[in-house]
Amino acid sequence: MNFSFDEHLSSSIRSTILITLVLSVFFIVVGMKIKKLDPKKTPKGFLFACIMMVETFNNFVSEYMDKEKFKYFGPYLFTVAIFLVVGNTASLFGINPPLSNLGVALSFSIITFSVIKIAEFRFITLKQKVNGLLGDVKFLSPLMLPLNLIGEVSTPFTMGLRLFVNLLSGVVIATMVYSILGWIGGIISGVILHAIFDIFFGLVQAFVFLMLSTINISLAVDA
Amino acid sequence: MLETVLGAIFSFAEITDKGLASLGAGIAILAGLGTGIGQGFAAGKAAEAVGRQPDAQQKILITTIITQAVAETTGLYGLLVAVILIFAS
Repeated sequence: MNFSFDEHLSSSIRSTILITLVLSVFFIVVGMKIKKLDPKKTPKGFLFACIMMVETFNNFVSEYMDKEKFKYFGPYLFTVAIFLVVGNTASLFGINPPLSNLGVALSFSIITFSVIKIAEFRFITLKQKVNGLLGDVKFLSPLMLPLNLIGEVSTPFTMGLRLFVNLLSGVVIATMVYSILGWIGGIISGVILHAIFDIFFGLVQAFVFLMLSTINISLAVDA
Repeated sequence: MLETVLGAIFSFAEITDKGLASLGAGIAILAGLGTGIGQGFAAGKAAEAVGRQPDAQQKILITTIITQAVAETTGLYGLLVAVILIFAS
């Protein structure tokens, strides 16, 4: 069998690999530099901006989650937020956004589902979980159990699907408009298109995904 | 009488798979009706809340954006069905 790496992959898979590589290298380099800093002196310049960004994120999200659980899930939430922000605005840099592919969006659903299961496994017992699934009113439990089970699966599924459809509509409209207009019309209309579909919708959807992940994890371990 | 009319219609334009799929794609977009009404109502309530207490405008803005994006999902499901019908049939 013959296969080649860059010929048969779809364009959004290529941009996923590119974004993952660039972000990994960037994070590792910044992390190594911050480790070497002196804790008694104030940092300055670019590292200062990075530290302020992490502080702002911590203060903002820890209103919605307990302290102990936030120490456990904070890094995951920040990574997902940065990947989504860079990935949704990738159309401004000339590559297809990674989430315009159904596979990437469903992978996000699977990852969110796994994180919620890991949170439940670590923080609450099995008895409490089954108690929660049966509902508050015990004699109605044959009715509540299927509904709650469907709700467990459908919540991560809609979170991933929301990202996919928002970005897919942007890609479809941009492709149609660029193929009709010529060079000059493409530049003028591209400004309006990308400002709406990429910056506004992309950033709002990334923020909504972050908030929903936070709230779902915190609800699932609240019992 | 009815058979002759129907026979005339069916001999003029044949019904194909692709045609019915396109018709279904058009009907699927009607899911945007409920979304538009619901989101407009929520936006009106948000504007009223800002008018009642202008100090809380920042918090109301963040809440509005999140809730609008969540309520938009059901309208987007119609778009997803339409795209699947057009491109995969």
